[in-house]
Order: sequence, then C-alpha cells, then structure tokens
Amino acid sequence: MRVALRHLVRNRRRTLLTLLAVLIPVYFLVFMFGFANANLQDMFETATRFDTGHAQIRAVATRPMGGAIPLMRDPADALAVLATIEGIEGWTVRLDLPAMASAGDRSRAVHVRGVVPEEVAPVGGLADRIVAGEPLATGRGGVVVGEELARLLKLEVGDEVALLGAHPEAAFGAIRAPVTGVYRAPEATLGRTVIYADLETARRLARSEAAATAIVIRVASVASPRDQATLDRVVQEVRAALPAGYEVQDWLELAPLVATYMGILTPALLIVGGIFFALGGLVVLNTIYLSVLERTRELGLILSLGAARRRVVWMVLAEAGAIAVVGAAGGAVTGVALILGVEAFGGIPLWGAAAEFMREMGMSSVLHLTVDRGQVALATGAMAAVALLAAWWPARRASRLEPMEAMRYVD
Amino acid sequence: MSTSAVIRTEGLWKVYRTGVTETPALRGVDLELEEREFTATAGPSGSGKSTLLHLLGGLDRPTGGEIYLAGQPMSGLSKDELARLRLTRIGFVFQAYNLIPVLTVLENTAFVLELQGVRWRERLRRARAILAELGVEKYAHQFPNRLSGGEQQRVAVARAVVSEPAIVLADEPTANLDTKTGLDLIDLMRRMNEEHATTFLFATHDTRLLDRVDRVIGLEDGRVVRDERVR
Ligand SMILES: Nc1ncnc2c1ncn2[C@@H]1O[C@H](COP(=O)(O)OP(=O)(O)OP(=O)(O)O)[C@@H](O)[C@H]1O
Ligand SMILES: [Mg+2]
Repeated sequence: MRVALRHLVRNRRRTLLTLLAVLIPVYFLVFMFGFANANLQDMFETATRFDTGHAQIRAVATRPMGGAIPLMRDPADALAVLATIEGIEGWTVRLDLPAMASAGDRSRAVHVRGVVPEEVAPVGGLADRIVAGEPLATGRGGVVVGEELARLLKLEVGDEVALLGAHPEAAFGAIRAPVTGVYRAPEATLGRTVIYADLETARRLARSEAAATAIVIRVASVASPRDQATLDRVVQEVRAALPAGYEVQDWLELAPLVATYMGILTPALLIVGGIFFALGGLVVLNTIYLSVLERTRELGLILSLGAARRRVVWMVLAEAGAIAVVGAAGGAVTGVALILGVEAFGGIPLWGAAAEFMREMGMSSVLHLTVDRGQVALATGAMAAVALLAAWWPARRASRLEPMEAMRYVD
Repeated sequence: MSTSAVIRTEGLWKVYRTGVTETPALRGVDLELEEREFTATAGPSGSGKSTLLHLLGGLDRPTGGEIYLAGQPMSGLSKDELARLRLTRIGFVFQAYNLIPVLTVLENTAFVLELQGVRWRERLRRARAILAELGVEKYAHQFPNRLSGGEQQRVAVARAVVSEPAIVLADEPTANLDTKTGLDLIDLMRRMNEEHATTFLFATHDTRLLDRVDRVIGLEDGRVVRDERVR
C-alpha cells in the first residue's frame, strides 16, 4: 500500500491526469443528471399542473370516439368513491367537448374545456396565465381563449364567440359566449385549440346537466416524477374502488409525449455517461499499465524476494484504487458543488431560441438543477468500479512476471 | 552426506533454450554447503555462477537433478511454494537494483519482514538493529538513490540477513564497487556470517576476494572444476 502511494506521489503529473480522467466523467454525469432532473421536473410540473393533473378518472369508451373523450352522464358515483380514499389531495370535474368556434366570418374546430375555476386549484395554472381580461369565473358565462386562437379568430376581450358543441355522445348545443379573458398557453397547439369555459357553460353546450369527461385528481405527496410509486399506489386503490364503466389513467398515460421523452432521457444519459466512463477506464488502464511497465525491475525484485503473487496484484490495485476513490469522490463533490452553485444563483435561465423552444414544448425557461443521492452514488460507484476493473489486467500481468526476467528488464 | 548440509545438489543440470539454440549453463553439479560456511563460487564469465545461484535460490528450476534445502527436495514445490521458500529461507543480494526506490532504507530493510507478516513495531526494531550493525543506520530515512553504491549494497546485505534466512545468496555483490569498497562489503558479510551464524554463498570473478572465504568452488563451462577449503 505504501509502495503504491509513493509511486502515485512520485509520478505526480501522471497521477493528476489520471485523477482528472476519473473525475471528469463523474462530474459530467452528476451535472447532467442534475440537468435532466430539472428538465423532467419542469415537464412534470407543466403537464400535471396545467393539463393532466396527476391522474384522471374517465368513462370507458363503448364506441369509436373520433378523438373525443367519452362522456360520463353523471359521475356522482365515481366522486363518492374518491371521498373514501386516503392520499387524495383534491379533484375537480372537467368537461372536454369538441366544438366549432365562429366569430364573424371565421371559424375553427376547437376544444371547449369546461372547468370549475374555483376548484381549479388542484390542477391550477390557468389564472396565472391570463394575459388580457379576467380569469374565468363561475356564473359569468364567459370563456377564456388562447392567444393564438384569439389571433386566428380576430377576437378581443369583450367580443362574442359562437360555439357549436360536437361531442358524439352528447346533443349538439349552440351558445354565444363573451370572451372575458385571453391566456398564454405553455404550448402553441393548446393555445390554438383549447377554449376554457366554466363547467355550467360547457354543460349547456352539451345540453346535459351533470355531464363530465374527466375527474382530474391531485395526489398528496406527489411532487416530482420520482414519486411515481406513491402515485401508482393511489391510482391502484382508486381503480379498485371504482364502479364498472370507469377507468383511471395517470399523467404519463395522459401525456404520452412526456412519457416518451422521460423514457429516452435517462438511457441516453447513461449511454453518454458510459462512453465517458469507458474513456476514463482506458486512461486508468494506460496509466497503471505504464506504471507496471516502468516498474518491471522493481516488481521483479519484489517477486524475487518471495512476495506472493496475490500481494503484487493488491499492490497494483491499491494504486488504481487510490486514484479511483479520490477521483470519483472528487467528481461527485465538484459536480454537486457546481449544481448547488448554479442554484445559488437562481438556476440556468435559457435565452433566445432555446427559451422559445422550451416555451413551445410547454417547459419553463429557467432550469433548476437538482441532485439525487442515488444518481450521485451511481455515477461515483460505477466510475470507481470501472477504474478498478481497468487496473485488473495490468495488475494480473505484474503478478505473473518471471522474477529473474523482470529484474533483467532495462527501460 | 552430512546432516548439517544447508543445501545440497545432485547432478544439477540447466539448459537454456532460446528458440532453437540450447545453451547448457550447468552440466551435472554436485555440491553441498555446510551450515555457517562462507563460500565463494568463482569462474570466468559464462561459467554458470549466476545460474547456480538462481537455481539454489528457487528463482528458476533446473532442467535435471535435484536440490535439497535442509534435506527437503525443491523440485516438487509449486511456484507459490517456491516464493514462500524464498521469502522465509533465503536471503538475496544482487549485483544492482537491490532496493525499492520509493521506500526508505529502513522500509526496504523491513520489507521482507512485512511480506512475512511480522508486526510493524517488531519489524522496525529488527531492521534498525541490523542497519546499526552494518553501520548504515544514519541513512535509515533516506531513499536509496541518495546513497553511494557501497552503501546501497550494505543495505542490501542488511535486507538479506534481517529475516535470518538459512542461506544468503549473493550474485557478484561487489561487481559495481571499487576494490576497497568491495573488500569492505565482503568483510561485512563475513561478520554477519560469524555473528549470525548465517551460511553465505557468493559469486565473483574477482580473485582478490577469495582469500577472505572459507571455501572456493570453481566453475567452468557449467562444471565444478575446483572445490577447496582455503581456511
Ligand atoms: N536467461 C538465459 N537465457 C539463455 N541463456 C542464458 C540465460 N542466462 C544465462 N545464459 C547462458 O548460460 C551460460 C551461463 O550463464 P551465467 O549467467 O550463469 O554465467 P555467469 O558465470 O554468471 O557469468 P557472468 O560472470 O558473466 O555473470 C552463459 O552461456 C549464458 O549466456
Ligand atoms: Mg553472473
């Protein structure tokens, strides 16, 4: 052990470079994990707060719906079930209807989303996004349209819009409603298609007093994609307690694009990280191999004196082990420090095209990096293991030297 | 056949094979070294001195014949058993590069004891004692490259005797030293031989060293051509 450490100290430059080769991949991966966490958290927040909630109860479709969500005539029985289940933070009833919106000589196929604005809290988001006029309020009979749709239909606050309900399971209602507000959607497609109305107004459009298409649920202590297990448990419970004809879908099923992205992000990171690890491992291999080669004569002497081969293996591995442990730990510490440092300055604000892109994708333009102990441990442990593994072959080679031949070796 | 033989060989042959050429380095060597004997093996270059020492020290295996260390045949030993035997029974002094450069003189001396598993305190005590005996204790915390050739060889002798082996094998320990230093080193080995009752066998082609030994074994072309007690 002492011999190994002395060698490291004597070849300071090489030791330092090798340390960096071990440190950088860990540093990089820890930081990238932080970045990915931020990204996923952002997508989770946007999807669950503004659109899907944590989960939704819907009716099971009994016929082709042509893109519409099946109608629940009266979801009172499902609501009664929710009250009995622990861990549910809140819920709200929603009625989504395909509709035709017309103003003047312009019209577009839209989606009317009837919500209870006062209950929107569990889903949230809309009130914060009003850019003109007022937020939605029950009893006023007004609607809130997206900026994009307002532009397309040349609508302003105070104008009237004619809506024609077109849900395949509902009667076709027609109403005229004043535009009381304009909102900015997290995603342009939403802004072009979704018109918010209070639930009463939407029900008039469906000509049904108690109809709904979804009960949007928020589950307690679910704050990030990592709380999926908690969510799954509650969803299971709800599913088991519901009467026939209902189904429960969680946010991943309701926002398949986000789910796909999440599914790609972690493996992609691991692959890139793996490449870095492999490179780090090669540098360690090279260093230890060189070190063994340079010390052929010394190793020959040690073997001549009668050192067990196992001991020589350990001696070489100790050298690599010191580098592996110090380097990987250093990478973890600096990686975490960078993340904490960035957060201390309020995260990473995106600018220009990147910010625009993020907005289009429904994400916030400030990234908040977070560290996860498991991820740091994974990056650190994996790199240390790779470094030790890389040293194994030179170590074995060193222990297999013929003592006399090794002592004759001239460098 | 004496019972006090530390080491004995019977018809020892060694043929080196490099590619198609075969070099016979030893051709039937029979010899026996008594306990406490201080013996030199002399002979011209290529006569097989080093080969003999390597075989006796278990660093290489003979092509034919047998070596008995304290009556035990060495041919049946595995590689690891041979290493163990080198560690516990044999002390080595080589011509050069005897010391591990990254360890201090004291650590080098204690290294064999460390390999043997002797406890830290004990091995430092023994290493210090032997360095003092050899007059190099003042270098205990120096690294070998700060020492002269003669001093390095003294430390090598200290390292060889510290574990109290059955026999110390020294292959031309004075070859890189000037005459005076070389003679001093031999005297020192002699003293160790007397004070610690350690058997010594060293190889040399310097005839001036030979009047300081008990016995000279002359080698030529891999055969013993002379074996006489000079004292
Ligand atoms: N590893 C080896 N491979 C092939 N031939 C060898 C090897 N070692 C020694 N020899 C040959 O064996 C013969 C004896 O060599 P050895 O080294 O034992 O002689 P020596 O008496 O020690 O000589 P010197 O005084 O030069 O050290 C020589 O012919 C030498 O070339
Ligand atoms: Mg020789």
